[in-house]
Formats: sequence, C-alpha cells, structure tokens
Amino acid sequence: MAELLAEAADVSRRFGSFTAVDTVGLAVAAGEVVGLLGANGAGKTTLIRLLLGLLQPSDGSARLFGAPPSVAGRRRVGYVPQTLGLYTDLTVAENWSFTAASFGVRAALPGRISGWRNELVGALPLGTQREVAFAVALAHRPDLLILDEPTSGVGPLGRARLWEEIRQVADHGAGVLVTTHNMEEAQECDRLVVMADGRVVVGGTVAEIVGERTVVEVRCDDWARAFALLDANGFEVQAHGQGVLRVAGQAAGVGDLLSREGLDATVGLVRANLEEAFLAIISQPAAA
Amino acid sequence: MRWGLENVRVSYGRRVALDGVTVPAESYRVTVVVGGDGAGKSTCLKTLVGLVQPEAGAVRRPAKQRIGYVPATAGLYADLTVQENLDFSAEAYRLPAGQRGPKEDEMLERVGLAGVRHRLGGQLSGGMQRKLAVGLALLHAPELLVLDEPTTGVDPVSRAELWRLISRAAAQGTAVAVATTYVNEAARAASVVLLEAGQVLASGAPDSILGSVPGALGVVRDAAARPTPLSWRRGADWRVWAPSGELPAGAEPASPDFDDAVVVAELASEERRDG
Amino acid sequence: MWAMVTKEFRQLRRDRRTVAMMIVLPVLLLVVFGYAASFNVNTIPTVVVGPQAAQAAARLHAPFDVTQVDATAGRSTAQSRLQDGQAIVAVVTGGSRVQVLMDGSQLLSVLTAEGALAKMLPAGAAAGAAPPVSVHILYNPRLTTSWVMVPGLTGLILVFIGTLITSLGVVRERQTGTIEQLAVMPLRARDVIAGKIAPYLMVAAVDLVLIILVGMGVFHVPFTGNVGTFALGAALFLLVTLGIGVLISTVSQNQGQAIQLAFMIMLPQVLLSGLIFPVASMAAGVRWISWVLPLTYFIQISRGVMLKATPITALWQPLGLLALLAVVVLGLAIVRFRRDLAPSSRRGQSADPQQRGTEAVAA
Repeated sequence: MAELLAEAADVSRRFGSFTAVDTVGLAVAAGEVVGLLGANGAGKTTLIRLLLGLLQPSDGSARLFGAPPSVAGRRRVGYVPQTLGLYTDLTVAENWSFTAASFGVRAALPGRISGWRNELVGALPLGTQREVAFAVALAHRPDLLILDEPTSGVGPLGRARLWEEIRQVADHGAGVLVTTHNMEEAQECDRLVVMADGRVVVGGTVAEIVGERTVVEVRCDDWARAFALLDANGFEVQAHGQGVLRVAGQAAGVGDLLSREGLDATVGLVRANLEEAFLAIISQPAAA
Repeated sequence: MRWGLENVRVSYGRRVALDGVTVPAESYRVTVVVGGDGAGKSTCLKTLVGLVQPEAGAVRRPAKQRIGYVPATAGLYADLTVQENLDFSAEAYRLPAGQRGPKEDEMLERVGLAGVRHRLGGQLSGGMQRKLAVGLALLHAPELLVLDEPTTGVDPVSRAELWRLISRAAAQGTAVAVATTYVNEAARAASVVLLEAGQVLASGAPDSILGSVPGALGVVRDAAARPTPLSWRRGADWRVWAPSGELPAGAEPASPDFDDAVVVAELASEERRDG
Repeated sequence: MWAMVTKEFRQLRRDRRTVAMMIVLPVLLLVVFGYAASFNVNTIPTVVVGPQAAQAAARLHAPFDVTQVDATAGRSTAQSRLQDGQAIVAVVTGGSRVQVLMDGSQLLSVLTAEGALAKMLPAGAAAGAAPPVSVHILYNPRLTTSWVMVPGLTGLILVFIGTLITSLGVVRERQTGTIEQLAVMPLRARDVIAGKIAPYLMVAAVDLVLIILVGMGVFHVPFTGNVGTFALGAALFLLVTLGIGVLISTVSQNQGQAIQLAFMIMLPQVLLSGLIFPVASMAAGVRWISWVLPLTYFIQISRGVMLKATPITALWQPLGLLALLAVVVLGLAIVRFRRDLAPSSRRGQSADPQQRGTEAVAA
C-alpha cells in the first residue's frame, strides 16, 4: 500500500458566504501523478493551500505526510507556481544557491541546467526557465511535488521532455500533484480529479472520464453555411478545420436542419474528446 | 481574398527571427501558427499586421482600417470599463456615429459580456478579458483578424467560447490567423504552419501534415528507461519514432495523431541540425 | 537570513538605475549644491544714470557690476531697466538726493546690495561732501519672501506634476502592451501623442491657475502685469515639461523606472533654476545647466509679470528660449515615440532594393 503523501477528506473552506472548496476528497500516493483539472475559480489553488496548511479548513481535514500540515511537512514539498517563482534578475546559479540556502541544504547545480549557470533567468527562453524552476524545486529532494500549469506556453516536444522529468521524479518514489486547465497536459497524468465551483465533479483516468460520451460530427463542403445555420439555431457547434464540424450537447435535429436547408452533409456519431467531455461534465448540475 | 506572408525573412539586429516563412491567410479560413515559446509566432503575426518590416519576402495585408489585432498581452485597457473600451475602439476605427451604439451592444451579446458592461477591464477574469479583446478587434468587421495566443492560460469554458467566436468570424468571411502553443487547436485549423526557431517545419492542411509523417510510429508500454533516442513520453507510455520504418522490438505500431506529427517534425529538425 | 541579504545585493547590483540613484545622485547633488548654493551674491548688475553718473559709477565697486553709465538718462529709464530685468540696482544722480533703486524681486541680491551700500556710505561721507542717498526698493518693498517664492514654486510644482504624470501615463501603455494595438489602429503617431498630452495640459493649466490664485489670496502676492504674457509663458513652459515627461516614458520600461528618471531630472531644477540662489552668482561650471532648464525661464517670466509688470517685449529671450526648448523636446519625443508605434525598418543584410521585403497593402 503506497503511502499517502497528501490527503483531503471531505474538506471545505468558506470565505464569509462564499464557499471556495466544498466537501472535496483527494489523495496523492507515492509514485503517482495526479492531475487537478478545472477552470479558474474552481477552487484548485484554495485546495492546494489547504493541503499545505496555509489555510485552515472550515470542515473536514487535510493531511500532509499522514499528519496535519505543518512547517516540517512543507519542507518536504517542492512547489512550482505558474509564474515559476524565479528571480529574473538573478542568474541560474544565484537562484539555485538562494533556494538551497533557504531550505538549508547543500546541493550542486544539476548537470542538465549547469550549462546555463551564469545566464540571467530573465534572458532564457521559456522552456529553459521552466526546466530551471523545476530543478530548483527539486533541490531539496522533496517527497511531494506540486506543479501549477507546468507546461503552459511550451511546444509539444518541450512539453514531452518536461514530462519526462516529472515522470522520473514519480518513478523515484515521490508523488506529483499537477494543476492544469490544459487538456494536453491532463492526458499526461495517471489520473484526474476534475473540479468545478469548489466541488469534485468527477475523477478517474481519461478513458473513464470520457466514457461512452459522443458528439455529432458533420462533414460538409459548405462548412461556413452549415456552421452559421447550426450556430444561429442554438447548437453548440465547433469548427474543426476543413469542412468538419462537431456538435456537442443537445444535438438532436442537426441532420434534419441541414437537409431542410439543402446542405449536402454527412452526419454521424463519434467519440467525444477530453475537452468536450470536460465541458459537458462541468456544465451539468453536480451529480451525486 | 488572399493575405499573408510569403517567404519572409525578419531579423532583430543580428538575430534572425524568421527565415523563409510563408503563412497564408484567406477569407473563410483559419490559419494557425503553432510552435513553442521563441519559435517566432508573435513575429509572424506582427509582420502580418505591419508592426515589423521584413527584410526579404512579401507581405500582403489590407489597410489598417480593415485589420483586427489582439496582441499576446492585454488587448484592452484595464482601467476602462467594458463599455468604455468598446467606445474607444469604435471611435478609433471611425465607425459611423449612428452605428456605434447598436454595434457595440451586439458585440457585447456575442461575446457574452452584456452583464458586465460597466465592470473595469482589469477586474474581468482572464477568459472574459480575452473575449472582450476579440470583441474589440471584431467590432469594425475587419477583413483580416489576427490573434496572438488568444487562449494561452485561459480556462476551458472560455477557450471553447473563444474558438466559437473565431469560427463564426471565419464563417462570415473573415480571414483569421491565430498563433498558439496548443497542438490540439492547430488540429482544428484549415491551414497549419508549424514553426520552430524561425523556420517552417511543416505546413498545410492538418490531414496532409498527418499523412506525410515519415517512417513509423510505435508505442512502448511500462518501460522505465527511454527505448530509443527518438522517443518521448506520453502519460505512462513511450512513443517511438523510427525514421527508417523499422520499429524496435517491444514496440506496438500506432497510427500517429497530430501531436505525434508535430513532435516528429521537431525531432526531424533536431536530427538535421545535429547530424 | 543571509541568503536573503545575498540575493538582494545581487539583484541590486544589476538594477543600474537604482544604483545610480543611491550612489551617483547624492554625490552629484552635493557637488552641484556646493557650487550653486551661494547666499553671497557677488555680482549685481547696476546701471547709473543722471548728470553725476560718471563720478557715482567710479565710486561703485564689487559686488556692484556697473553695466551701463548714461548721463543723459533719467529715473524712468533706470526704472525700466529694472523692470526689464537688465539691472538689479539703479543709481539715479541729479536732484537733491542720490536715489538708489533696487529690484525687490531679486531678494538675495537686494539684501547683499543693501549691506554693501551701508558699508560704502560712511567712507563716501568721509571723503568729501556727498549728497544724501535714499534707497527705494521697488516691486517688493517689504522684501517679502513669499512674493518671490510663489511665482517660482508654481513652476516647480508644475515640473513635478507635469513630468511625473505624463511619463507615467505613457509608460502605462507600454507596460500593458496596449501600445502595440495603437500602432495597428488607423491612428497617426502625432494623433496619439497629441491625444496623450492634451488632457494633462488642460489639467496642468487648471492647476497653475489654482496655485496662483491661492498664492495671491493667502500671501497677497500681487499680479501687476499682463495676463496674456503670463499665459503665453505658462503654455510654452507646460509644453516643454510635458514633452520631457513623454521623453522619459520612451526610455523607461515600467512605471518604477519612469519615476526614478523623473525624480533625477526634477532635483537639479530646484537648485539651479534661480528659484532660491541667483543664477548669476553660481560658479560658471554649473551655471550653464540653468540655461537648459525650462524652470529658469519660467521663473523669469512669472516673477517679471507678477511683481514687476514686465512687458512682453522685454521677455522675448526667456519666451523664445522656451519655445525653442519646446520644439526640441517635443520633436525628440515624437521621433522616439514613433519608433514605438510605426514599423521600424530593420537593417537588411543586403542593400539591394530588389532584395528588400515588399509589403502590399490593399486600399
């Protein structure tokens, strides 16, 4: 049984009359990568603060390394915020030594980024900055890594390489909690916890979340007219390139409408992608 | 109407930012320029709208009056209200005085911000700011709409709504050029330009880019170490690319998706540079 | 804790503007202050008129600097010299007494002149029969400090506000990235600049009127001269000040930098514009700086018009120089600003016109 590094049990947090987090359950075990997926304002940041002990729960409990969150517990956590948390007017080496000194560890700059040691962080390309931020967060060998939007703005190959490093950290026994609202990133995680309006709406692997959901796919040469028509009639239609439209949600009557207007189109059911499933889930009233 | 960049070269001092880059922009179509940070996407779009002059190649664009542009940062005034932002745009683009009110109201409805008309731009959420910025750029019904990373960092619901706005504009005849780092957005375009370090790695319709992935693609499951040098992780698996067409032992063949096509193009480019 | 200290020092070292402010500026200010600040006035331009002009002139020595001796001229000529600002002291001979007229708007000079005169007179009396001397202080008979300071402070306050606020207003556009959008809109560079300066110009003008009225109301500072002349001087002065604000914004990346630069430009003006210490008494090495400060000229104009009713013809020099400064500063500001707004032509690898990029813009 893998040790639970971070655990939230029916935890809630209210700010006055506003409920930021509502009866949320979450667990991160050693060696796994958990993705916290949700829009802005869904409560992801508040939940993380509860797990770290920076906020006290209004109800329920949060545990860090099997005990109530504490300063000692936070010492074992590595955190990379979306803004990277690096000083752009210091060099890589200087950032490293500041963090190492703050945590009271002596560690040498990892080989991977040592080539950049005397470069000002602000002058590095974004992908490299992220690598540095990641390495700095790992300087004190944390047991739990929390990453906020780790690959936002980085291209696919750069993203794959960053995720390689994240995977390595998990393989060595640490647990990783990633918050994101990027579908590509969500698919890198072992499992997802989807949040909306402070609640967990669904959890599981990507396949489990998509389930048997389908959308209607329309192939039509005159896509512009078809799009305008469906859009004007209240369908949730998205264009997907040349002549392909996808209609999510309530899609009954799409075929009839198109043929009535004399548009030559092929209409069929296809499996939904993660984004469509996510949007469908969070727009529904919360299921039990 | 055909606009765009043709074989353009742009340098900032001694640094070559774009080299031989062609980006088409046609009415009724969405062209997506996709690439990582520093690839040159913003430079492409800035050249297209005239903020940057190329030193070689040709650029075709309509007059300023007929262009709508949203830069990667901002796109609106944080210390003006939503309504005031619209008023400024309407005046700057010289909309006839009588039409301003109705057009602004219509745009507010279209972008879903009618309820926050009097809220300060800076107090809107990231997604709402982006929608307002796109609305400001569409207010004067431009022929060419240029958006620099409109959905980076935006929540999924707003992102879907932004893309609906973009598709609607294209359906009405606007030529749209979008820069993004999200590969799944590129897969939706009519035309894709894959950019890295100022050069075009691949371009064309997404289907044709997919179809022209050389070699073979495979998947290796549950391996701790990288199977070959040309492998990358996705989830818990490794994806492997064999340029020669022969996959290593233990790899299951897989048909490439657009994400794979992009990674392969980037790997191929690296091989060319190092090899 | 030491980790924090080390980090801060490293960051500081790289922030050149802050280092300049903390180290270079105090040294510079001290040196300049040392040379500029002089409570001892050593040069007082003096004219001597009247039948005994030559003899009177012969008896005048430092600090009096006799610039004109005219036996044919009388009191009215002498007085207009003071009004025009060409002299600070006028000695009128002929008549039963020697009249010594002093320009009360030049406070420190007049105090020095009084002292010097007092020392000279007993000696003169001992040397022979000398006519009695009466001293008249014109324009500011009681040598009220506020009468002299209010016109000057008005200018100083406007330098603070005008420079600072204008620079912030433009930097804000650059910081938020909206400047790129302005460049793509069908707006001309000069429209944007004029549109940026105009509101501040209007607000500053209202400010100016307000301060003057308060000065007149609370301290009873007179306004004896032509309002139109004052308005012209004020308008030119504001144009220069606001233009400097825009210029600052074109070399600043963020509001913090703009504030630092504005501050560094405002400080010398306090010391070197003639607000407190007379320009003529400054060491030559620093005096040239006041010739390029707009505040120097505004002070001449405001003191002249408010206290002495100086006619516009006598003020052509400060007005003209302000106009020149306005042209230079605004011109520079427009050139730099245009670079932000309009596409910069990149230096191409080849000068061959065939090879240059072409841009086709449909009408």
